[in-house]
This record gives sequence, structure tokens and C-alpha cells, in this order.
Amino acid sequence: MEKTGFPLWLRRHWPGLVILTLMSLFPFLAGLAMGDPAAVPPEIQGVGRVLALAETGRAKFWQGMVIQMFILAVFAMSYDLLLGYTGVISFGHAMFFGTGGYVVGLLVKHAGWSAGAAVGVLLLVALLQSLMVGALSLRVKGVYLAMVTLAFAEFFYILAEATDFRQYTGADDGLHGIYPPPFLSPTDHRTRFYFLALVFFLTMYLAARRLVNSPTGRVMVAIRENEARAAMLGYNTFVYKLVALVAAGVMAALAGALNAFFNLGVTPSVLSVATTIDVLAMTIVGGAGTLTGPVLGAAIVHLLGYWLNRLFGQTWVLLFGVTFILIVVFLPYGIVGTVQARSWRWRAVWRERWRRIKEGRKFPLPS
Amino acid sequence: MKRYRAFTAFILIVGALVALGYGLFGPQKATAALLSGLTLASLYFLLGAGLSLIFGLMDVLNFAHGVLFMVGAYVGYTVFGNPRLILNTAPLFLALAVGIIAGSRLAPLIPNRRFIPYLLALAGVGVTLWGIRGFPLRPLVAFEPTTAGGAIPTALAQEPLSRMLLRLGQLALAGLLLGPVAARWGREDRRAAPWRSLALGVGLTLLAVLLLLGRDPLERFLLGLSVDVRFFLALVAGAATGAALGALIETTLIRPFYGRPITQIVLTLGLMFAGAELVKFIWGKEGRPPMAVPSLFAQSCRSPNLLAWLTERCSSIDVLGRAFPTYRLFIIAVGLLILVGVALLLKYSRLGMIVRAGVQDSAMVEALGINVRRVFMAVFALGSALAALGGVVAAPFVGVYPEMGSIFQLQAFIAVVIGGMGSYTGTAVGALVLGLARALGDTLVTTGIALPGMAQALRASPAVARASTVLMMAVVLLVRPAGIFGRKE
Repeated sequence: MEKTGFPLWLRRHWPGLVILTLMSLFPFLAGLAMGDPAAVPPEIQGVGRVLALAETGRAKFWQGMVIQMFILAVFAMSYDLLLGYTGVISFGHAMFFGTGGYVVGLLVKHAGWSAGAAVGVLLLVALLQSLMVGALSLRVKGVYLAMVTLAFAEFFYILAEATDFRQYTGADDGLHGIYPPPFLSPTDHRTRFYFLALVFFLTMYLAARRLVNSPTGRVMVAIRENEARAAMLGYNTFVYKLVALVAAGVMAALAGALNAFFNLGVTPSVLSVATTIDVLAMTIVGGAGTLTGPVLGAAIVHLLGYWLNRLFGQTWVLLFGVTFILIVVFLPYGIVGTVQARSWRWRAVWRERWRRIKEGRKFPLPS
Repeated sequence: MKRYRAFTAFILIVGALVALGYGLFGPQKATAALLSGLTLASLYFLLGAGLSLIFGLMDVLNFAHGVLFMVGAYVGYTVFGNPRLILNTAPLFLALAVGIIAGSRLAPLIPNRRFIPYLLALAGVGVTLWGIRGFPLRPLVAFEPTTAGGAIPTALAQEPLSRMLLRLGQLALAGLLLGPVAARWGREDRRAAPWRSLALGVGLTLLAVLLLLGRDPLERFLLGLSVDVRFFLALVAGAATGAALGALIETTLIRPFYGRPITQIVLTLGLMFAGAELVKFIWGKEGRPPMAVPSLFAQSCRSPNLLAWLTERCSSIDVLGRAFPTYRLFIIAVGLLILVGVALLLKYSRLGMIVRAGVQDSAMVEALGINVRRVFMAVFALGSALAALGGVVAAPFVGVYPEMGSIFQLQAFIAVVIGGMGSYTGTAVGALVLGLARALGDTLVTTGIALPGMAQALRASPAVARASTVLMMAVVLLVRPAGIFGRKE
């Protein structure tokens, strides 16, 4: 029987709902599994104890890891809007991420603004910045664009590192002491910050999905596939690419702001090429041209970096670079991309196997 | 008509820059700034020429070009000051290469199953790691007799010969395992005649063993050579390493992905990242002070003019009453030499003819029966060699440090974008414009800008001048998206 309304919605979206539930429960599960019982006073019992446990020991650390993953996932999704959906190769995406951090940092620390107002202004700044960068760099295509965006990013990196502005940006030491409002402090109330990051991630994911599935998003994909054809059909491809770049830039800037609040500061390294490589790696590992891909990629790359760092110390950056090259060579469509491309075939194979097993054949292996 | 317009633009820009310099700083400072600008332009050109040629011919933007520049600088520096490191590591690479050559001959013997290449590659990497395990890299890098004539070499930090020979064996074995995989990877290539690869393998083996057995006398000999000869050796070794690395990169990472530009770009970007980390891993995070200059530029005195300098061999020369380091004149000369040399190569040689035709339409060239792949590899190697040569030339000027690759690469990118990608003239022009602008910008920010009505001049660090070149690129892109000499798509 054909399902309609809520049952249909549920049937379509149950994996997402399960994941969402798991994500919401994660701090408390982690608290029960990894929290430090000695750090919680024994008189606190029941629900209060679960809440308190989540703030202790390795539970707190792992919450921090997942918060980072949320932030990086948004960053990677924003990059994917450009690389995966519009086919624009930008190597300057770190510029937006870093701008988010620095704008918020300067306003909160030096101008004494509240975090909310700073984020509001950041939206405006990011909009303007991405419009300007887009208007300049989208005049060229392909590799030129890659070079030009890289140069723009280096421009901001050099400025952030320049000793001339040390009293504002802290030069190569970075800008430290960017505090969010006390009730959201990532050090004292990490679980609250976790849910802030989760809500942020969800909002951004839904917004990106809305954009990608909108008529504008379809034109973006058309541009990726064949820009000349999209232009022949009468679309002003420049405008659509600009829309993609602005959306990506604003998303990345917001992620950068949240990152600054979580780390209580920014360093110039968030503007460096290494950051762009990170986000590129996340997008490519997960699968460019999908929205779940970058999210998965962000989680994998972040965990991989953590484990490699623990195992090999300083050498891990080199190993990460080599791993990145190997992934690009051997898994060009990423995990989600490969699964999407092959899932029909895999399903057919397993269906065939299952049929043969039911028929009772001896070797249920189709060629 | 269009050609004239580009040249007019070029002359106008350079004229404006020169006039600006003289107007702002007066003849003395401006001349010094312009000469510095020519020095920088020469280095940017050495990097940009390869970038532009490679892009023009095969539509590949090599983000790893700066790494090649940096590797050239480091290798040159090491050959110049620390031959012990080279003498102890080069045989290992040679052994690996010999193994791979021999192994690729064994490819037909390997059963054709899907998982076997992966197994072999894994085993090969494992054996490689086994072979280099515990290699005393740190003490070897730290050993550095700096001055000419050199410190008396001690056996310190070197492994005993027997251990090194064992390592050679291990790496040769690793090469044997990797060889079939390598042969499959580049399967589209016609393989060389058997006798040729046999000769190559035997030659490389001999070279490796001789280098290793004679490492002590060789080191003494190298350190005893005059600075000039060692500098020349550094130039040759740097350029050769660049060429070899370029050929390797082209065959392994670029060639399998023609027609997939995004993959190529992303790969070279990853290479740029990994390469910089590799250099940090081998030579450490700290940079080194500038390399010693050849004796022609070494006496600490100031010559009044060029002729006097040639006899006195002073380190600086008098330019309108200010001292200017003579070594920078050498950099300018190298840049000019390469500019003319490559231009002649492009114009009059068969390779140059193919390259020029390929830039126009590489599919047509291939259709005419020319082995385009070999030409691609040659041009990639040539461009990489130029970049590495630039690195060695730059080492006595700026020293060597792990960020030099990305810093110079960025400026070369900007130069190439300004001049127009894929155009050789454009690259030279872009490098010149950018070098002059950079030098003027540096002078401007360090002497300070005094606008009327300001209490004190506005000063800044050179980093600001470096960043401002990006704005210059933005302006050029606004006016001419394809650069001054670029072709419209």
C-alpha cells in the first residue's frame, strides 16, 4: 500500500533520524562510558549525575572531538558547494574560515562586542568579502581560478602573520581570548556547546540541502557538467557561480567563527594552505558532489589526524599528505561517491546471490 | 594589432614603475630598488617559465613547482656544504631505482590477478621501510663543514660500510617488489629495449657501489675543491635532481590523469603539501643561513665599477654611491641566460618546434605521429630543472628554509597570471613587472609613506609589500582576465 504523509516521511528519513538521535544522546552515552565518576560529587544522583558525568574525563574530550567534527563538517560542506556542486576549484577557502575567526575575534576581544552582535556583523563581512573575491576571481576559469583564489588566501594569511598588526591580530602567536557568552563556555559547559554545534551543523546541513535541491542548485550542477551548455540555455553562469561562492563563503565564515569560540582563539594557521588542503581532503575522501560525503570525510580526516598524531608524533603531517595523495589516486570519487555509483551493482549481485541460495544451488557466487 | 597593444601595455607599466621609483626616492635609491627588482624578477622567471611552459603544453598547473624550487635549493646547499649526506643517501635511491628497473622486467611473470599489485606494493613499501629503518639521518644532516676547504671529515655519524651494503640489498629487493607495479602503472609507455635497461641497471649499480665504497676519499676530495667548483657542482646537482623529480612526478602522478584536470590539480596540491613536509622531515624545520658565494663575489670590499669588480672580486659594487651586492648581478645574469637559452631552444630546436606546435594544438601534434608523451615528460623535466636551478641560485641570496617554496611559488603564480599563462614572453614580462613592483613596494614600505597632513610616515614590514602584489594581480585580472600576453579562451 502506498504510504503518504508522515509514514512516508518517516520511511524516507529514518536513517537520518537515527543518526540525529544518536548524536543528541552522544554526550550522555560518552559520559556514562568514559566519564570520571570520581570527579562528580556522590550526592548528585539520577539525571543530574548523567549530566555531570558528561562534563568530566575523556567524555569531555570526546565531546570536544565531535564538536570539532561538526565545525569541520560544515566547513567541508561549504567547500563541496563549490567543488562538488558547481565545479569551481577554489584553493582559497581557508580565507573565509579564517575571516570568520578573525572578525569575531577582533570584535569580541578588542571592540568588546557581544558574541551575537559579532556574528551578525560577520555575516555582513563574509557576504561582502565573498562577493568581492567572487567578482574578481570568477572572471577566470579552471586552473586560473585555483591560482587566483590561492593568491587571495595567501594575501589574508600574510596580513594575519604580519608583525605590523601585532597589537590587533597577535601576528604569528594568534589572537587569543575570544570568549563566547559564559553560559555557552566550551570549557565550563561543554555539553551546552556541543548542542550549539549540533544545532548549527543541522541548520547548515538543511540549508545546504535546500540550496542544492533548489532550481538554483540544479543550475549549479549544470554548470559543473558543462558550463557552455548552461550558458547556451540562457543562464547567467557567472551569477550562479557567484551565488555558490557567496553561500559557501558565508557558511565557511560561520564555521570559522564557531571554531574560534570553541578554541577561545585563532592562529594564522587557519588561513594557511594547510587548512585548504584539510578541507579538500575531507571533501574528496567523503565524496565531492554529495552532502553526506564531506560530513563523513570531516569525521574520518579528523579522527585519522588524531590517531596518526598519537602514533607518529610530528611525522603525521607528512603521512597525512601521502595518504591524501593515495586517496586521490585510488578513490577519486570518495567513499560516498563510490558507494552511490556502485550500490546498484552491489544490490543486484546480492539479490542474485540470495536467489541462488534460495534455489539451493551449491555455489551461490555469480561471476 | 593585439600584439602591439600588449607590448604597449608592458612598456607603459614598466615605464610607470620606473618613473614612480625615481619620483618617490630619487635616482640613488630607485636604481638600487630597480636592480633588486631585476634580481627578484630573474628568480620569478626561473620558476614561472616552467609553470607556464608546462601549462601551455599540457594544461597542467603544477602546484608542486615551488617544492621543486625548494628541493633544488636544499640539494644544492647540501652538495655544497655537506656532501656526506648525499654520499650516504644517493646509493640508497640508486639501489631502489635499479630494483625497480629490474622488477619492471619481471612484470610479465607475475600472474594477472587483481589483488597482486596491491600485495606487491604493500610488500615493497614494507621492505623499503625496513631498509631505511634506523638510518642515522639526524647526525648526517647535522654534520656540516661550512667553509671552503672544509673541516677534516671524521667517521662520526656514518654507518659502517657493511650495514650500508645491507641497506642497499634491502632497497634493491624493495625495488624488485615495486617494479612490476611500476610497470603496470605506466603500462601505456613502450618499454625500452632490454639491452638498454640492462646497461642502465648495471651502470646505476656500479655507481651506487662506487659511491658507497669511495665515500671517504670522495668526501675529502669534494670538500677540498675550491668554492667555485663546489658551487658549480651544486648548480648541476640541483638542476639534475629537479629534472629527475619532474620526470618522476610526470610519469607517476600526472600522466595517468590526463583529461581529468581536477584530479591533476588536487594531486599536485597534495604533493606541494607533502613535499614541504618531507623537506622539513629531512632537513629540519629551521632554515639555514645563505650559502657561501663563489670567489668572484666573495672579497669584502666595494668596487667602483664593473671592470674593477672583475679584477677585485668584491662582494659589492658601487651604484650611484650605494653598495649593491654583486652576487645579485649573477642572479640577473643567470635569469637572462636562461631566458635567451630557452627562447632559442623553443625557436630553433626540433623539441622547441614540437612544444610550440603542442601549445597551439597538442591533439594535432599527436595525430602527426609525434610521441607527445615523451615530449610532455621532457618539458616537465625541463621546467622542473629550471625551478630547481632557480632554487640553487637563490640559496646564497635568501638562504634555505621550508617556507621558501610556497612563498616563491605564490609570487611566480602572480607573475604568470599577470603575464598570461602559457605564453613564454608573457612569463618574462610578468616576472619583470612583478619583480620591479615588489622591489619598489619593499622600498616604499620600509622607508615609509608620508602623506601630507600626517605626523609621521606610515611604515610597514616587507610582508605587506608581499601581500600587495596580490592586489596588483587583481587589478590586472580586472582589466585583462587572461593577463597581458594571454590568449583569449
